[in-house]
Amino acid sequence: MTPAHFETENAPRWERLQTLLDEVEAGKPSADVEELPLLFRQACHDLSVAQHRMYGPRLVEKLNALAITGYRVLERRISGGWERLYFLVFREFPRAVRAERGLFWFCMAQFWLPFLFLAIWTPFDPEWAMSILGPEGMIQMEMMYGRGTSPMDYMREEFGSNFGMFAFYIWNNVGIDLRTFAGGLLGGVGSIIIMLFNGAHIGAATGYIHHACNPETFYSFVAGHSAPELMGVVISGMAGMRLGLALVKPGPYDRKTALVLGGRRALVLITGAALMTAFAAVIEGFWSANPFPPPIKYTVGAVMWTLTLGYLFLSGKERHAA
Amino acid sequence: MASAPLADTLQPVELADGVEIHLRVAGPAVRSVAWLIDLIIFGITLFVLWLILLFTSAGIGMQTAMGLFMLCAFVMSWFYNVIFEMGKRSATPGQRTMGLKVASVSGAPVRLPQSIIRNLLRVIDFMPMGYMFGLICCLFTQRFQRLGDLVADTVVVYAEPKESKTKAIQVNVQPQAPSLVLTRAEQAALLQFLERAPQWSDARKVELSDVIEPLTGKTGLAGLSTTCSLGLWLQKGGNG
Repeated sequence: MTPAHFETENAPRWERLQTLLDEVEAGKPSADVEELPLLFRQACHDLSVAQHRMYGPRLVEKLNALAITGYRVLERRISGGWERLYFLVFREFPRAVRAERGLFWFCMAQFWLPFLFLAIWTPFDPEWAMSILGPEGMIQMEMMYGRGTSPMDYMREEFGSNFGMFAFYIWNNVGIDLRTFAGGLLGGVGSIIIMLFNGAHIGAATGYIHHACNPETFYSFVAGHSAPELMGVVISGMAGMRLGLALVKPGPYDRKTALVLGGRRALVLITGAALMTAFAAVIEGFWSANPFPPPIKYTVGAVMWTLTLGYLFLSGKERHAA
Repeated sequence: MASAPLADTLQPVELADGVEIHLRVAGPAVRSVAWLIDLIIFGITLFVLWLILLFTSAGIGMQTAMGLFMLCAFVMSWFYNVIFEMGKRSATPGQRTMGLKVASVSGAPVRLPQSIIRNLLRVIDFMPMGYMFGLICCLFTQRFQRLGDLVADTVVVYAEPKESKTKAIQVNVQPQAPSLVLTRAEQAALLQFLERAPQWSDARKVELSDVIEPLTGKTGLAGLSTTCSLGLWLQKGGNG
């Protein structure tokens, strides 16, 4: 069989496939679409034959293009939408966090140790905290939580400023989460640095407030949103470390495969962490600055911590778990 | 003249259907241009948004307007590419202009998780400045993948696998079958020689056709015309 013969004999089939593919790609599939898989497999077969018999680059390229388009159309998947999101939030994500027990405690330590150290040490020796915060940071702390302030002060006057702050927290805090994750690609070093620095900075701020400001104003402000926000930081660190570990310690796979697999697992973690932080931004924007008495704020804070930890440790609990 | 498959932008991928397809991966140069176009679009969009919010801020309040701007800036800066890659063409406006698109290494369309991963990791590819890491990584991988592409298992390819047009080239020679069976790479070389020859000077054509003197057995103008004959024979489908 000559190439020309081969082409004239099969061209109608290819044209038919092309028409069907064009229809599907345009979003208007006709009833004949059921023929598509069969026609696609035939075209794949024709491509193999043409390649093997060296029917010339023109024919092979044509069939190659047909096979690529066909594969793309057949492989197109429809995402799960809301159901998928629900599954991710309430089952997949908490499970992924629990599955990485070692990483979880490692990242908890990376964040909370510098935090606790600076928060406790600063009232005795505020110099470290001062150098971490810098003069501008200290002025800001005193403006927001200074000795003259009380938790009952209106911190923001109108809805607009609440919304503005909410947007700022999304932009800033979720952005930090995403960077913490991305930093993991540098062998985990980027994530560790961001986590340590974050812990140190927040710890320094807490310590400095004990040293020079009114802690009650501070705690009643942060109580509500602290749980999802801080755990979001820790978990985005886990996502970064998962990626970094895939690079540093690929285990039974070659590095590239390990990275791809690690990336998939990390994505679940960072998505959840980003959602948690975004949720925290909602609370921080619209609740935390309201002038309610501290006991109410603290109660809400305690409830949020219970809910957050309960969610992470219990949601979507594996059935067979002991 | 068939060389080892070192610098080939045609990347073979085997499908589950048992057939091998070839993806034309796109290099850093064309991707940089696409990125620049996207950057300009990004800048203009944000600027227009800023203008709109500036004019409406009297009605909705300055703080709200600032907040809206910040939200949009956040979404755009992290998810601009994701939004477009999830579109029907799997390409940002810049990539579409340059005829590129994003695909899985397997040739399948890029999926949401892959798109998110490759675009979140963009910040690392950008480091330390101007996509330095991304460029280095591109140059050291077979498929021009930057770090984000490696983790997400994606490639940037030319959108329409080019179908070679058989222009009727006026060459005053008779088709002639080669004395050996040529590999596909060799056939492609001959055909491309025939296609691109009109752009070159005669001296250059002769210089190139002299390279395959072992096949044609001739040099100079005679070698050139034999080369054309062989090419023509292939172009006619290899059957005379």
